[in-house]
Amino acid sequence: MTTIRSQARHVLFCSSVLAFFGFLSGCSPLVSRFTARAVDQLGEPIRPVIHKVAVPLRSDVGFSILWVGHATVLIQIRDKVLITDPAFTKTVGLLAKRSVEPGIDPAAITRLNAILISHLHFDHFSYGSLDMLPKEATLIVPPGAGEYTPEFGFAITREAKTWEAIEEDSLRITPVPVQHFGGRYGFDVPWGPVRPYTGYVIEYKGITLFFAGDTGYNPDYFKEIGRRFHIDVALLPIAPVEPREFMKRVHTDPAEALQAFEDLGAKIMIPIHHDTFFQGLEPEVGYAKKLMQALIEERGLQDRVKLLTIGEQLVLK
Amino acid sequence: MLPLTVFFALSTWSQEPIAFFNRFLDMNKPVNTPSMQSWFHPRCLLLWLVCATIIVSFSALAQAERRDSESGFESWLTFQTIPSMMVISHPGDIPFAFEWEATPLLYSFGMTRLVSPWYSFKVSQAARFTGSIELKATGQISTRKMGSSYFGSSAQLIGHIPLMERGEYLGLNVGVAKYAFAGSSPWFKVVGISTLFGLLEFNFKHSSDPEIWMGTIEFRFF
Repeated sequence: MTTIRSQARHVLFCSSVLAFFGFLSGCSPLVSRFTARAVDQLGEPIRPVIHKVAVPLRSDVGFSILWVGHATVLIQIRDKVLITDPAFTKTVGLLAKRSVEPGIDPAAITRLNAILISHLHFDHFSYGSLDMLPKEATLIVPPGAGEYTPEFGFAITREAKTWEAIEEDSLRITPVPVQHFGGRYGFDVPWGPVRPYTGYVIEYKGITLFFAGDTGYNPDYFKEIGRRFHIDVALLPIAPVEPREFMKRVHTDPAEALQAFEDLGAKIMIPIHHDTFFQGLEPEVGYAKKLMQALIEERGLQDRVKLLTIGEQLVLK
Repeated sequence: MLPLTVFFALSTWSQEPIAFFNRFLDMNKPVNTPSMQSWFHPRCLLLWLVCATIIVSFSALAQAERRDSESGFESWLTFQTIPSMMVISHPGDIPFAFEWEATPLLYSFGMTRLVSPWYSFKVSQAARFTGSIELKATGQISTRKMGSSYFGSSAQLIGHIPLMERGEYLGLNVGVAKYAFAGSSPWFKVVGISTLFGLLEFNFKHSSDPEIWMGTIEFRFF
């Protein structure tokens, strides 16, 4: 009888634990749906990138942009090399899995001047990915992100301050405001840093590039950035799209990204932050890309909006 | 899920449902319903307090999803009241207990030099799981009396060693703990893992007496 009592108690104890975690996911239908989607997709294969650029950094290139996937973009402006929100790992945040492999091998990045982190979320601030990059770079993290930043051993680590430019050897990087949300784990939003998210404007030798990271549509911010800078290329997120009522405040969809592009007054737009991780509750993989493609054709923007495939390098000069 | 959570927690805490279950298995004994008095037992009242805390905490979380707080101190404080769970093997008994933890001092050796390596009470997850040495104090309330009291306490010195993704996916915990309960104050060796961004720790604590050990599931929200 003692054994049965003891086992009954253990069953009840384990049930309590399970019920607690069930409660965690059950407290919000949306969290539950996201969790179910993430678990479903853990078994999905990662699609390969067929034509990877083996040597992405070239001395004969004046300005190139290589979309590695998601918000990871390798930028070469003459002798300077920058990467945004590097994500090379198979998963981010344990559960969010890649749908396609990174567009380049991180070992192909043989030199690096700056790494720009837009905010703290797993798909933008991937600890494992930062460990794969050359250590001579300067790591720039968003405002207040120091308390989330391990010591990676980079030459310099700096915290961004909105509108305060960081300049080194004529490479000028200005953190600019975007509209997103803070925290890294969800539950830490209340006591985490205030507004730990930023976009960046990169200026070097007459070329100006805007990297939005992750943002909702905020015309005031985009118009102000457009007023202060003459942007050549804008890297703007277009996903996740659904569920729209939840995403709208913090993520631009393709139509809003195009409006932001107009507000910025940029010459060229490159859509990012789509088609890489299983995210949101999109009805199908590549949903945002299809919407974007339709809008480009409808508005005749083929020359100004470059919808790259993962691993594709756009040489602009 | 909420009623289920309350039910299971109540079942675990209050001995009456367990006794009911045991009597159900033992058909020779009559089945009695718990008396009203048992629901007002200090243990049950404490349980309701725990449940209310969990509900309030998740309400705070839901609120937090909708805003970026300027200070967040109240939310942080609320989260600290969420207890961890433990089972204690003690000669002749295996009571279940709730445990609350506080970290008076933590030294992090895994964080950027932009921030101080010293933390007190308000400790970010990253500071702990990227590699740290933590001095923490805990208080426990047990489901049954151990010796003459339901209460226990401990002081622990724990090292957190990152294993995967700088410790965010997986980390190792090793250390020592000095517990005070049941009129004794044994030393425990502690070994365990932390996972889920440092949010969840599974620790096993073993004393020099092979009959006395503990298993804990710890929720670290700070």
